Amino acid sequence: MSVDEDDSEMDFSEDDCGYEDYYNTAEDCDVEQIDLYKTDPEYFAFECLNVEQVERLLNESVEMLSNNLQITPSLAKMLLHNHEWGCLTITAEYRRDAGRLLVTSCVKPPVPPDTSNSSSSVGMRISCPVCVSSILWDKFSSLCCGHSFCNMCWAMHFEVQITAGISTGISCMAKGCEVLAPEDFVLTLLTKPQLRDKYQQFAFKDYVKSHPQLRFCPGPNCQVVLRSKEPKAKRAICSYCKTMFCFRCGGDYHAPTDCNTIRKWLTKCADDSETANYISAHTKDCPRCHICIEKNGGCNHMQCYNCKHDFCWMCLGDWKCHGSEYYECSRYKENPNIANESAHAQAREALKKYLHYYERWENHCKSLRLEEQTLTKIKSRINIKVMNSSGTWIDWQYLMDAAALLAKCRYTLQYTYPYAYYMEPGPRKELFEYQQAQLEAEIENLSWKIERAESTDRGELENQIDIAEKRRTTLLKDFLEV
Amino acid sequence: MAALPRRIIKETQRLLQEPVPGISAVPDDANARYFHVIVTGPEDSPFEGGLFKLELFLPEDYPMSAPKVRFITKIYHPNIDRLGRICLDILKDKWSPALQIRTVLLSIQALLSAPNPDDPLANDVAELWKVNEVEAIRNAKEWTRRYAMDN
Ligand SMILES: [Zn+2]
Ligand SMILES: [Zn+2]
Ligand SMILES: [Zn+2]
Ligand SMILES: [Zn+2]
Ligand SMILES: [Zn+2]
Ligand SMILES: [Zn+2]
Repeated sequence: MSVDEDDSEMDFSEDDCGYEDYYNTAEDCDVEQIDLYKTDPEYFAFECLNVEQVERLLNESVEMLSNNLQITPSLAKMLLHNHEWGCLTITAEYRRDAGRLLVTSCVKPPVPPDTSNSSSSVGMRISCPVCVSSILWDKFSSLCCGHSFCNMCWAMHFEVQITAGISTGISCMAKGCEVLAPEDFVLTLLTKPQLRDKYQQFAFKDYVKSHPQLRFCPGPNCQVVLRSKEPKAKRAICSYCKTMFCFRCGGDYHAPTDCNTIRKWLTKCADDSETANYISAHTKDCPRCHICIEKNGGCNHMQCYNCKHDFCWMCLGDWKCHGSEYYECSRYKENPNIANESAHAQAREALKKYLHYYERWENHCKSLRLEEQTLTKIKSRINIKVMNSSGTWIDWQYLMDAAALLAKCRYTLQYTYPYAYYMEPGPRKELFEYQQAQLEAEIENLSWKIERAESTDRGELENQIDIAEKRRTTLLKDFLEV
Repeated sequence: MAALPRRIIKETQRLLQEPVPGISAVPDDANARYFHVIVTGPEDSPFEGGLFKLELFLPEDYPMSAPKVRFITKIYHPNIDRLGRICLDILKDKWSPALQIRTVLLSIQALLSAPNPDDPLANDVAELWKVNEVEAIRNAKEWTRRYAMDN
């Protein structure tokens, strides 16, 4: 690296708001990260922050901008909140046309205030336009727009706004004036401690929500804020409450499906819940002896307790034709001639197609829950085994690992169905469905074996785990686009 | 009941002393925050000749919060729904404590002169107002005659 390059880098880092500094700037770390991105399609760098850490982070930006532009911290905070905390953009914009920036950010009025009759003398009383009481002139305040109101009225205005959940968006009381009240202005005039707390809580929420690198953990009652340098649709896990979610949309993690598609899918499922209800049955009849069978595990590979027939829960077909080479159950066979059919037939076909994907989506979701119960059963089974000196805790650990991996694979598999539903037919869809079928076969195999594991012979199961995880990552590598 | 704020007293006095042309607003005998309002249908509007009754209530935190206003007389208007609720920006997010009862009533009068079907509250009325203004105006006149005249 030449000396010049070094210099230019220095220049750059002086101007940015410490964002780079905040992250590990050491080069070897970057290299490591790039490698992780290559090998793990789900790799995502993020950190979990508590409220104090977030406040420190925000204040760093505020200080930096306030120093850069020689403006008050309060003003800097308003600008940052209005411009997604982009220090560099604000600095550039400010240097180009400060007046315009301040007006469009509702920091200053479009027309400067008229100060011609602002002469005041000690003991002078003025009438407040809001409460129409005559009050000592020094009990008045105004924002930079010059609209002057008595302090009592300001405080009442803030109270009403804060009670309505508004904080950073509180504007001047004058008719049609859009100038925003900065934090220090509000806090100076707001006297009730309870309201001050509320204001600060609401403002904090607004600041985090306006910051592209920050996300509130969606976990119930969790205060953690997650931060990532690249706010993508990737898997984030709260280190505190363990909630797993998509960093971009905040919903349940949904790879390989993207944020828009999953939203579309979930809306569709909610709208069509009536139609789909009939399939959510927990029982089906054995296709051979017609005895009623209840599904009580996650595995789709069913064995009739009466006639011992092995069949598939999803399609009720013989399980023999569900081997990994010819696993067809996940694929929907579209009618190639559908364009020429009647509107009625097309509608029926559309519903059939939706139900095919919905059934599988819903089934994996249920299986995940059932397998959680299985896990509890496995744990108590291991307990008994260890107590009877059949292996040690360590010997049995592999089974727990296998169950955890099974859940991870099934989760991804669940989210492959909305993805496939919206895919255009063609070679790419064929490849996707091929990989999906492979994963499907591997997972049902694994689920069957975990439910029945009786020995500490881990070889075969560990092999199976390996294959399943490889199939999962291959699918994500090929189809996860973020 | 708490003492009436000076602001409300002042506004009431002025409304009674210099009423807005075409509008009468009288406080209720029992509740000084409740006003009986009558708005005359503006000239050259489909509401001409009609007298429209409204109720106006000043909430506890007035003037920090907007007054609550509602048409009592039935009216065929794209920004007023069947319950008499009014779609007017200054009654919602554009409210400012510096605005007054007087300004609100003037804005309502102006809304009668210039209905705005692009910001509708009564969807069916707004729809007709957009696709067939002639028929919509005929309906508005008919409603005015039926509900807002000699009663
Ligand atoms: Zn102002
Ligand atoms: Zn005042
Ligand atoms: Zn959390
Ligand atoms: Zn997402
Ligand atoms: Zn059977
Ligand atoms: Zn099947």
